Amino acid sequence: MPIATQYFDVHQRMRDQGVIFSFVGYVSEGILFSLGEALKQKMRLEETDANVTKRVFSIFVEQVQNIIRYSAERLHADSGTPAEMSSGLITVGRDATHFFVVCGNIVGRSEGEDLRVRLDELVRMDPDTIKSYYREKLREPPEAGSRGASIGLIEIARRSTRPIEFGLTELDADRAFFCLKAYI
Amino acid sequence: MDRLQLPQTERSPLVDFDFDRQQLRLEGESYPEDAAAFFGPLIAALDRYLERLRAEPPASALIVDLRLAYFNSSSAKAFMNIFQRLEAAARDGIEVRVNWHYQTDDETMMEFGEDFREDFQAARFELCVFD
Repeated sequence: MPIATQYFDVHQRMRDQGVIFSFVGYVSEGILFSLGEALKQKMRLEETDANVTKRVFSIFVEQVQNIIRYSAERLHADSGTPAEMSSGLITVGRDATHFFVVCGNIVGRSEGEDLRVRLDELVRMDPDTIKSYYREKLREPPEAGSRGASIGLIEIARRSTRPIEFGLTELDADRAFFCLKAYI
Repeated sequence: MDRLQLPQTERSPLVDFDFDRQQLRLEGESYPEDAAAFFGPLIAALDRYLERLRAEPPASALIVDLRLAYFNSSSAKAFMNIFQRLEAAARDGIEVRVNWHYQTDDETMMEFGEDFREDFQAARFELCVFD
């Protein structure tokens, strides 16, 4: 297949799914910032309600920061500077009724199981329960080695206007691919 | 103590901690790359300052103004740390007033303000709407 046809096909399939943008590869805080700016600009141009834009942006930031902090595929700078790049997938789009933000990355098996337990719990909560759970977690001292993710996941669930969806697929004995989809 | 001032950036709020005037101001958006690194020095300065106020209670209130448009969950955690310290100081008899400014129709910031307000008893926490 000629390359233009090949990539137009990829392009077209994504557009059909309502994708606004999709990024696969190593993400850094710099990429998070630039994609976030592009997202806000796009939503402003389309005159999206300011509160909806904030919810989408907020979920986007928490999702991407989870990839940066927790992806099992990551690069560290040798110099010891805190530059961090982690591999993952980010897709933001819109279907007939909702915006959606999907993030995916490879996780270690035990981290994956840990995520499953936390998210199963969140999925079962109604909005008021999520809100009080958030308040409770905000008051707690940070968990050892957590870098803030527990509150980030609750924030995602809280800003979603529909229950979040997630999944894990096993890659080998030690690793799984994790993805999380939120709707606004 | 020297006034602590940090300019607003695209990802971090303006910080202006004027110790002599007993005013702390935070303004802008907050999703720094490393929230602990950003807020750590501010929280350390607040601890030293509150210790000083406890030793010599001031005649007028410590005023904290927050005017934020967006912050991520790590920043929310840092704000909670700051608020817990302010409330503890107020319980020790230091007059503290926190003003939470949010734009009309900004549901997220209003809701955060209402949430945070529930943690204050001794300190005064006011929701202030602006256009």
